[in-house]
Amino acid sequence: MAHTAPASVRTGSLGNALPVAAGLLALGAALRLFEPTRITGVQNFLLVFSSLLIEAVPFILLGAVVSALIEVFVPPRVFERLARLPGPLQLPAAGFAGLAFPVCECGSVPVARRLAAKGLAPSAAVTFMLAAPVLNPIVIASTAVAYRGRGAMWTMVLGRAGLGLLAAMAVGWVVGGRSAGDLLRSRGVEADDHDHDGESRGAAFFGHLAGDFFFMGRYLVLGATVAAALQTFVPQSIMGSVAGTPFVDLIALMGLAFLLSLCSESDAFVAASFVQFGIGPQLAFLVFGPMVDTKLAFLYSGTFTKGFFRTVVLVVGAVTLAGTLWVEVVAG
Amino acid sequence: MSVQSSSQRRVARLAWAVSPRLWSPARLADAVALGIWAGLFWYLLPAERSALYLSSRTSWVVPLGAVLLTLGAIGRLAGARSPAPEPLSRRHALGIGVIIVPVIAVLALPPSALGSYAAARRSSFVGSGYIASPDDVASGELSLADIAGALQSQKGAQALARRAGSRVSLVGFVTKESGMPADEFVLTRFLVSCCVADALSVQVRVVGAPPGNLKTDQWVRVEGALYPLENEALVDAAEVVHVDRPVRPYLNP
Repeated sequence: MAHTAPASVRTGSLGNALPVAAGLLALGAALRLFEPTRITGVQNFLLVFSSLLIEAVPFILLGAVVSALIEVFVPPRVFERLARLPGPLQLPAAGFAGLAFPVCECGSVPVARRLAAKGLAPSAAVTFMLAAPVLNPIVIASTAVAYRGRGAMWTMVLGRAGLGLLAAMAVGWVVGGRSAGDLLRSRGVEADDHDHDGESRGAAFFGHLAGDFFFMGRYLVLGATVAAALQTFVPQSIMGSVAGTPFVDLIALMGLAFLLSLCSESDAFVAASFVQFGIGPQLAFLVFGPMVDTKLAFLYSGTFTKGFFRTVVLVVGAVTLAGTLWVEVVAG
Repeated sequence: MSVQSSSQRRVARLAWAVSPRLWSPARLADAVALGIWAGLFWYLLPAERSALYLSSRTSWVVPLGAVLLTLGAIGRLAGARSPAPEPLSRRHALGIGVIIVPVIAVLALPPSALGSYAAARRSSFVGSGYIASPDDVASGELSLADIAGALQSQKGAQALARRAGSRVSLVGFVTKESGMPADEFVLTRFLVSCCVADALSVQVRVVGAPPGNLKTDQWVRVEGALYPLENEALVDAAEVVHVDRPVRPYLNP
């Protein structure tokens, strides 16, 4: 419902923007004056940080557009009908829906949140969210290109899609019958997510769009900061020492995928560069990374209740480990 | 809202339509922040700017982001006058501030590209994905990516070995390894397939360089004869000249 503030509060509230604007200007001036890029580590950090965000922001916005469209223009009865689908069908259907949604992990989080809030079974929404970044056509194509010309191309493409779908459905199954209220963190008033009766659909659409964008954007900035710092200060060669040690090498590359926070549309090229590792660890990197990484840890913790991130790490980790060990036995 | 009858909703809409409208500070702040991000993407539109952050394969996100963010800002501004304007809470202002920090970082700093610091910490490139066949290597001009890619497969390495002594002209920046003699350095370039976060290094060893004036991170063009060794390539330099950083500092697949 609309809440009306007294006129004095309304005009006075713009004052809250002043310290923020002043802080930003001071930051810009400081960067100009001190040119921290002379310190090469800082330059490296800022480059990785900005490029992660420049690439992710359009996708976050696309996710927010889809999410706002769902909120404003898809009638509730569609979700009621979807929720009536037979239970055993819901998770696979949600997983395969990811095939048709060519947005990587940043975009699928706001959409899943909206779907769950609108009454789709939360388990199905979560399955969709996790499956989309692994199963979408762009990701499948880039995986094939990265491994083209090697014997392992089909193992990687099919293994990634298969294990990704399996892991996403497993998380959905563990989440099970939890209600949306149980699973989603409430966003507080500042998120502007309340409806004004009678407001035009256009205004409502842009309201939800901005709300989702700023909500996700905050966590994305935090996640990109941590990921860029890790990329800058942790040399990738430390992984080399465990290459060839069974099982430990799987854990090592899953850990690396977590630290690097690559977009699922490009991570196959990086995975293919770890030649000292076998196909098992490379596959583990490609299955685990799009579902669990530094920036997603922030996005998930802002979107879902406590414990959800732990569930995703444990379930996706277990499926990835078991699956890649099996692939190593069969294909290796 | 769904529990209301349609007539109730019509009344609400009518009341909304006739009540006086005031600018909502919260919505204005949203529109300004979206506009600032839109501005960044318009600024990045020329290739020489976006090439510092993105691969040519992914640079399409820049026009997409510019248009979407601009539409978002205009849309939010168009609906910013409301009979029930929301105050701008301190939390909301702070959240928006956090999102603008990266824009400030990009605009305030001089443009730069990954250099030797990153070369020491990142994985190196393995090119099988980019080299369709050893035929690419068999004839024509050899690029840095061709050479690095060819060395990853036996067939490629054999094809490259047949080119021993070929004249190459390669552009990259200087990195040095400890213990290298004065007339040697490593010529490095990064290969970026999506954004700078996935950069992989591509390197060849240069020997016989005219000593002096080869500082780390200096961009150079090396001309000379290529000699593939077992798993690295060596260029016997005939000439090493300083060049400006290329417009596209990263190689793209």
